[in-house]
Amino acid sequence: MVGAPLLQLAGVEKVWPNGTVALRGVDLTLHAGRVHGLLGANGAGKSTLIKVLAGAIPASGGMVSWRGEPVRWASPRAARAAGVATIYQHIPLVPTLSVVENMLLERAGGWRADRAGRARAKEVAGLLDNPFDLDALVGDLPIGTRQMVAIAQGLMADPALLIMDEPTASLAGHERERVYAVVRLLAAQGHAVLFVSHFLDEILSLTDEVTVLRDGRAVLHAQTADLDEAAIAAAIAGRSVAALERRPRAERAPLNPPPEGEGDRQRSWWWRGSTPQASSPVDNTPPPACGWSPSPSGGGLEQYPPTLELRDLGSSGKLAPTSLTVAAGEIVGIAGMLGSGRSELLHAIFGADPAARGAVLLHGKPIGRTPEESVAAGIALVPEDRATQGFVAGMSVAENIALPRTGLFQSPAQEREAALAAIERLAIKVQGPDAPVGELSGGNAQKVVIAKWLTPDTRLLLLDEPTAGIDIGARTDILRLIRALADEGLPALLVSSEFEELIGICDRILVMRDGLVIAEVDPETTDEAALIQRASGNFPSTGMAA
Amino acid sequence: MMQTTDWRAGLGLRKAGIYYALLILLALLAGIAHSRGLPAYLSAQNLGNIAYQASLVGIMGVAMTVMLITGAFDLSVASVAALAAAVLVGLAPSIGFPLAALAAIVTAVSVGLFNGVIVQFVGINAFIVTLGTLTAVRGLVLVLTDGRSLMVEQPEVLQQMLAFESTRVPLFWPLLALAVALLAFAAFRRRIAPGLGGIVVAGLALLAGRDFAVAAPVVYLALFTALVWAVLRFTVVGRRIYAVGGNAEAARLSGVNVHAYKLGAFILSSAAAGFAGVLFGCRLGAINPTALQGAELTVIASAILGGTSLFGGAGSVLKTVAGALLLFTLTNGFNVLDLGASYQGLIEGIVVIAAAAIYTIGGNRRRAA
Repeated sequence: MVGAPLLQLAGVEKVWPNGTVALRGVDLTLHAGRVHGLLGANGAGKSTLIKVLAGAIPASGGMVSWRGEPVRWASPRAARAAGVATIYQHIPLVPTLSVVENMLLERAGGWRADRAGRARAKEVAGLLDNPFDLDALVGDLPIGTRQMVAIAQGLMADPALLIMDEPTASLAGHERERVYAVVRLLAAQGHAVLFVSHFLDEILSLTDEVTVLRDGRAVLHAQTADLDEAAIAAAIAGRSVAALERRPRAERAPLNPPPEGEGDRQRSWWWRGSTPQASSPVDNTPPPACGWSPSPSGGGLEQYPPTLELRDLGSSGKLAPTSLTVAAGEIVGIAGMLGSGRSELLHAIFGADPAARGAVLLHGKPIGRTPEESVAAGIALVPEDRATQGFVAGMSVAENIALPRTGLFQSPAQEREAALAAIERLAIKVQGPDAPVGELSGGNAQKVVIAKWLTPDTRLLLLDEPTAGIDIGARTDILRLIRALADEGLPALLVSSEFEELIGICDRILVMRDGLVIAEVDPETTDEAALIQRASGNFPSTGMAA
Repeated sequence: MMQTTDWRAGLGLRKAGIYYALLILLALLAGIAHSRGLPAYLSAQNLGNIAYQASLVGIMGVAMTVMLITGAFDLSVASVAALAAAVLVGLAPSIGFPLAALAAIVTAVSVGLFNGVIVQFVGINAFIVTLGTLTAVRGLVLVLTDGRSLMVEQPEVLQQMLAFESTRVPLFWPLLALAVALLAFAAFRRRIAPGLGGIVVAGLALLAGRDFAVAAPVVYLALFTALVWAVLRFTVVGRRIYAVGGNAEAARLSGVNVHAYKLGAFILSSAAAGFAGVLFGCRLGAINPTALQGAELTVIASAILGGTSLFGGAGSVLKTVAGALLLFTLTNGFNVLDLGASYQGLIEGIVVIAAAAIYTIGGNRRRAA
């Protein structure tokens, strides 16, 4: 069935100069014409392994054989010349150049107009079924098309092996479908593909074999046909992960908001408390990291005025006038594809969109239309793109968490304590509160961004894709935290492309399309496929639904 | 263990290099002076002179550092200072020194406000806007002075101006008090850096002797630097200044009024330039239209020598002042020791590039590790 391996790794190790061990002897075999899935939690060594394969960093030990010959690529150029093309997650294209010029960036030669090169670019675009105009400016293209350009760029030299690092992480459903089609096409044409992803379903439907990394070791290697999601998830996490399954409403904590003023004492914040263990003494909620469980019943939703009320909140061209209310302790999910207006809604509520019109009322009081006023009123936004909107990379964990604090003086001791408490409660993997956030992995950086808002002053959480691009362990931690906070009375609006997450933890789900809330859905009576169908409109079936 | 590595890094080349460079340069110049049989280079008077010469650039440099930390840039400071000096010298004879000084600073602030509004609300790059005001404001100075030197001729106004600028402030006891305070703080909080600072300050005071006094601008520089340093180091405003430069969008979405901070930096920069201009006008009681031309580059060079990033989010005002002192020590050394003034520019330029190279290479290595 399978011929000689194209690429073989035996015991590949990588030790960084500071002593950190990233890879502890990884074996991996790739064959031509096969799609190989690579999975692992953040920090498991995937990025390091990719960089070793791409020639970007040298391995510290072990053996790499390419077409049966031992090799040691000294530079990305050497790896490319041998036939390995790598497409990185953060698409490194020049936005001010055209598609064809981006595709020709690697080519040597004197003239900018390169007829042979253009012909080759055309040929490659043809292979991909012409997803873009060769002369379009890359900066003008939607992100999904840019991903196609990046793939095309990688294919220019006709590589035998294509490494794709989370090519679908930032794409919406129908854009992912296009990437899947291309991957299948490339494999059919005899290329080997190493496909790195966080999405278990796409790994299962797309790949022929799977390797899972954990702590720098390959802990699972199997044919995809012999696996299911649970087996892969267990290998990634190293423990059996209880899948995030929805509990019937009756089993969960009732919507039981504390009356105004008492909330601070009831909630399990750490900002003022001395130890995080002293959390939620009143309502018997177990520690949040362990999930949520029933607590004594005490009244229903109707008794309390809504925490949040929107009156005709809209923004020209982005968001149709929207009215809705959110009760204390309620998690309202917002399901929509990329560009459906879901982020725009959150930004409008937060006052981050100066063009937005309409009223936002928190506990019946109108809130001014700037982020400063929203923060002062207790509205917190966890933005979609944590690196460019969420944290300050050069600042420490403690400083980032303290960023929304107002007042005159910093209080280093208190901020440090708050950071330590956050590190413990959210299980942030970091050396200490003084480590710069820029050095953390995605999931841990995201936890810092969320921790920033976990103060007694927060009255409403706006979460924009809080679990995008992070591993399954961190994802579960974060979702459980959101649910636990809601059970303590803190309402949340949750945007996610992972509709299963919405179904798992939301009290109700709003479906958005084209800047408009088109439906309200009860998560108990819907499923992922139905949600996708509603949200994607013209694309009744996507890969995610399959 | 963490604490140990912290203070070691604090004394490393990247963190404290500018102070070492300044000390080495002083030692080198002292050695040359000694070998040539010139009067002692490290005399209190000469050191006071260097600080005096560096004071105007230092004041502008401190504000420039805040500006650079927020991620913006101000090329117009020297022109603004010249404008303030022209307003002061032009108005002082008719409305008196205090009002004229106020008018000068208000004028400077309005230029800063103009710069800031254009940069923030029209969205033009700060480099371009302030390059424009650099030229335009210098042109305005020419218009106001009609291309000639202006002078203050009333002796009593001149007297006030000189008193503001040239009074010598005795520093022996204040320096000793500062040293004791630093040492006490270091002992109390078990910190290394303030202790070293205290020892250095005490050493300087004892070395300079009981009659040690400096011109008023040095004191202004010291007070301004201390104030800005404390704001950056201890207040929420300070953290937010770094956050605005480090990631403006993250700061905005954390409830920081980014516009206000960026605008504030432009206003601070111009206000400091205005104050420097007032000091400059007082120094001579006169202003010529080309005064301070090119000083903006020395100001920016000081900040770069001090390790301030042009990309925002990082920088230290203390090191900027050390950078200014280093540049003026070079100038002073070339003059006092007669080392050939022709080499001065060449050496200064090389020093700036070498400093930036050290910071960049050090920074990369840290990131790679």
